Amino acid sequence: MNAASPTLEVRSLAKRFPPRNGQAEAPWILADLDFSVATDEFLTMVGPSGAGKTTLLNIIAQVDAASGGEITFRGEAMNPVSGTLKPGWGCQIGYVTQDDNLLPWRTLIDNVTFPLRVQGRLDDAAMERVTTLMRTVNLVGFERYYPHELSGGMRKRASLIRTLAYDPPIILMDEPFGAVDAQTRTALQQDLLRLWNLGRKTIIFVTHDIGEAISLADRVLVLSRSPAKVVAEHRITIKRPRDLSNVYKLEGFGDLYELVRKELL
Amino acid sequence: MNLRLTTDRIVIFVVLIAFWQLCSLEFGQHWFSSPLKFVDKFVELGLNGEIVFHMTYTVKAAIFGFLVGGIPGALLPFVLRRLPVVNAILDPYFIAGYGVPKLALAPLFVLWFGIDLEPKVALVASIVSFLVFFSTMAGVQSVNAQFVNMARVAGANESHIARHIVWPGAIPYAFAGFRIAAPYSIGAAVVGELISSNRGLGYMIQAGATDFDTTTVFVSLGTLTMIVVLVNICVAHAERWLLRWRPRTGAGAAWVPGA
Amino acid sequence: MTAVAKALPGRRSLRAWIPAGRVALAVAFFALWQMGSEMLGKEWLPGPVLTCERIWSLVMTGQLARDTLVTFGEAALGMAIGGIGGALLPFLLRLSPRLMKALEPFLMAAFGVPKLALAPLFILWLGIGMPTKVVFVASIVFFLMFYNGMAGVLSIDPRLVAMARVAGAKHWVISREIVWNTTMPFLFAGLKIALPRSLSGAVVGEFIAADAGLGWYINNSRSLNDTTGVLAGVVVVTTLVILVNAALQKTQVRALAWRPMSRDMTI
Repeated sequence: MNAASPTLEVRSLAKRFPPRNGQAEAPWILADLDFSVATDEFLTMVGPSGAGKTTLLNIIAQVDAASGGEITFRGEAMNPVSGTLKPGWGCQIGYVTQDDNLLPWRTLIDNVTFPLRVQGRLDDAAMERVTTLMRTVNLVGFERYYPHELSGGMRKRASLIRTLAYDPPIILMDEPFGAVDAQTRTALQQDLLRLWNLGRKTIIFVTHDIGEAISLADRVLVLSRSPAKVVAEHRITIKRPRDLSNVYKLEGFGDLYELVRKELL
Repeated sequence: MNLRLTTDRIVIFVVLIAFWQLCSLEFGQHWFSSPLKFVDKFVELGLNGEIVFHMTYTVKAAIFGFLVGGIPGALLPFVLRRLPVVNAILDPYFIAGYGVPKLALAPLFVLWFGIDLEPKVALVASIVSFLVFFSTMAGVQSVNAQFVNMARVAGANESHIARHIVWPGAIPYAFAGFRIAAPYSIGAAVVGELISSNRGLGYMIQAGATDFDTTTVFVSLGTLTMIVVLVNICVAHAERWLLRWRPRTGAGAAWVPGA
Repeated sequence: MTAVAKALPGRRSLRAWIPAGRVALAVAFFALWQMGSEMLGKEWLPGPVLTCERIWSLVMTGQLARDTLVTFGEAALGMAIGGIGGALLPFLLRLSPRLMKALEPFLMAAFGVPKLALAPLFILWLGIGMPTKVVFVASIVFFLMFYNGMAGVLSIDPRLVAMARVAGAKHWVISREIVWNTTMPFLFAGLKIALPRSLSGAVVGEFIAADAGLGWYINNSRSLNDTTGVLAGVVVVTTLVILVNAALQKTQVRALAWRPMSRDMTI
């Protein structure tokens, strides 16, 4: 793990939406949020539902603006409060959303290569990387299928490798495995770790599942209810590569789980 | 099941013909013609080319009007999407324009454009354009914001978004507009001919009625019905092919003529 | 302020321009109309002033009132007959799904035929008096109400019906509770579309066959090459239909599937 200068630094981030009709003031969703992510670090953030986790990721990805605070990415100020947004920050910040957001009118392979095509980077080397990714997640053979012909788990995998295919240095993930069944979820988590091992990158993974947060991460941040701020931080020392079917049995896991659960209350 | 359905339909068809024959016998062939006379006349007019001649005229007017009205109607929402203030200014006028009964304008068009193809094309175009415009507009405005965000994060610029997200997302809506407009265009062409024409199926109907030649009227109506059914079938097939990426909706969904 | 305008992103100052823009557009329209009339001549395009004068004289002589009454009468009668028939038939057909399926292609064909094409036939049978127009309007409204009624009937959730049967409900209770309530919104939607259509249907029917009414006036003026008369008539009909539409708007949201959705324009 790299303890050198962080890739992403968030300072005093605050966000609230405009008040509704009849409201004097809108409540703060995020307030005084501080954290940083080091290069090649797998950071998970766990918080209760409705804590503003999606809002936070939207702000980092420059899909939404903040109401206060600063964000620095690779030493460059991102100015999250200004009105002008640069979604994806010039293709440097990848974002795997909760919904797979695959274009229903495109085949699987077209969907996976969509960012590369749009960036004009779909050359032979890129296609090779795509094929490797497809093989790693067992999607080979389904290239010509439309999204509605694929299972939920397959669509999730496609959405994952779509972002990995164009290799942004930092990837945000918003509860990507929340909407699938438990078995598929474990398989997807294992796939994600396998993919991450292929080429380390910085990942911010947001979830409400404590077990998921601990078993995947190098470091876990615990968020409070809204207005969300970081209330605790835990370094995970479990050796990699991790076997997700056994990690729960490891010593210390149960205690950490209990600790985090209490912190979330 | 399918055999029973087909036999049911054949039975209904036979019943209708028998009913027709009965009316003809009861009220006189003068008023109702008869199935036999229909077939006779149909063959006669079919062989001497009259049906084809008039049919071509009507279909031509319908197709031209469909294109002249449909293409701008489908493209305008994409242009207006980039000019939201202009769209807001024009919005009530579009809605008012949609409320104007275009068929009521037919005599005006005849007065302005003469009695040849032009007024019919204008009439068809005026109807089709509004139908297609509103349908496509609904599609453009219902574009999934999450897809747009995803594309932006992936590095797409405005032209990419228009091409890859807005356009394919709006096509089903545009197509619904086309599907509804297709039979209307035939209808509008016929209306134009009924008011003033010397050619076309509408003219055939009108002339037949004026001559008290009920059989010709029925023959023209029959041809018209066949064309409309054909158009509906073609449109349904085109839609199935164009939207093959769509999951099939549940059974018992909206009962759409021609679907 | 329409929903489309309210939903605009951007500064408030920009939004303030919209009503001004609309007024400007209206003014420009009338100005262009007048200019076009002067350029092309009033035989071709009578100007707004001339058209208004004609409308006024029609009001004064009472002809406008007479013709409007005739047209409205035809529309109302046709609406009543076609509406009741078209609304009832789906309920009856519902009792025999087999018949419904078998009739489908015939109904689809009948639905696609432009009703005006039948008008000469109606004239042949019924002459050019009121009955012809009433039958014509009734045929339009019938298919409209039938289409909406069918959509409503087909959307009845069979699970609700099964639940009611299990709970011991008699047939007529099911009809009242479930069938009626499910179909009502569809029928109302159909009614709202049918009202202005019956009006324009009566007008168009009068093009073909009449000796009175607004449509007759329009077509008669055309045959006399009286462009001013045609335009005056068209303006009156258009205004009436727009007023009817506006009145209906106030009562409820129109269920026209292709109307622009007043969602936020976050495109």
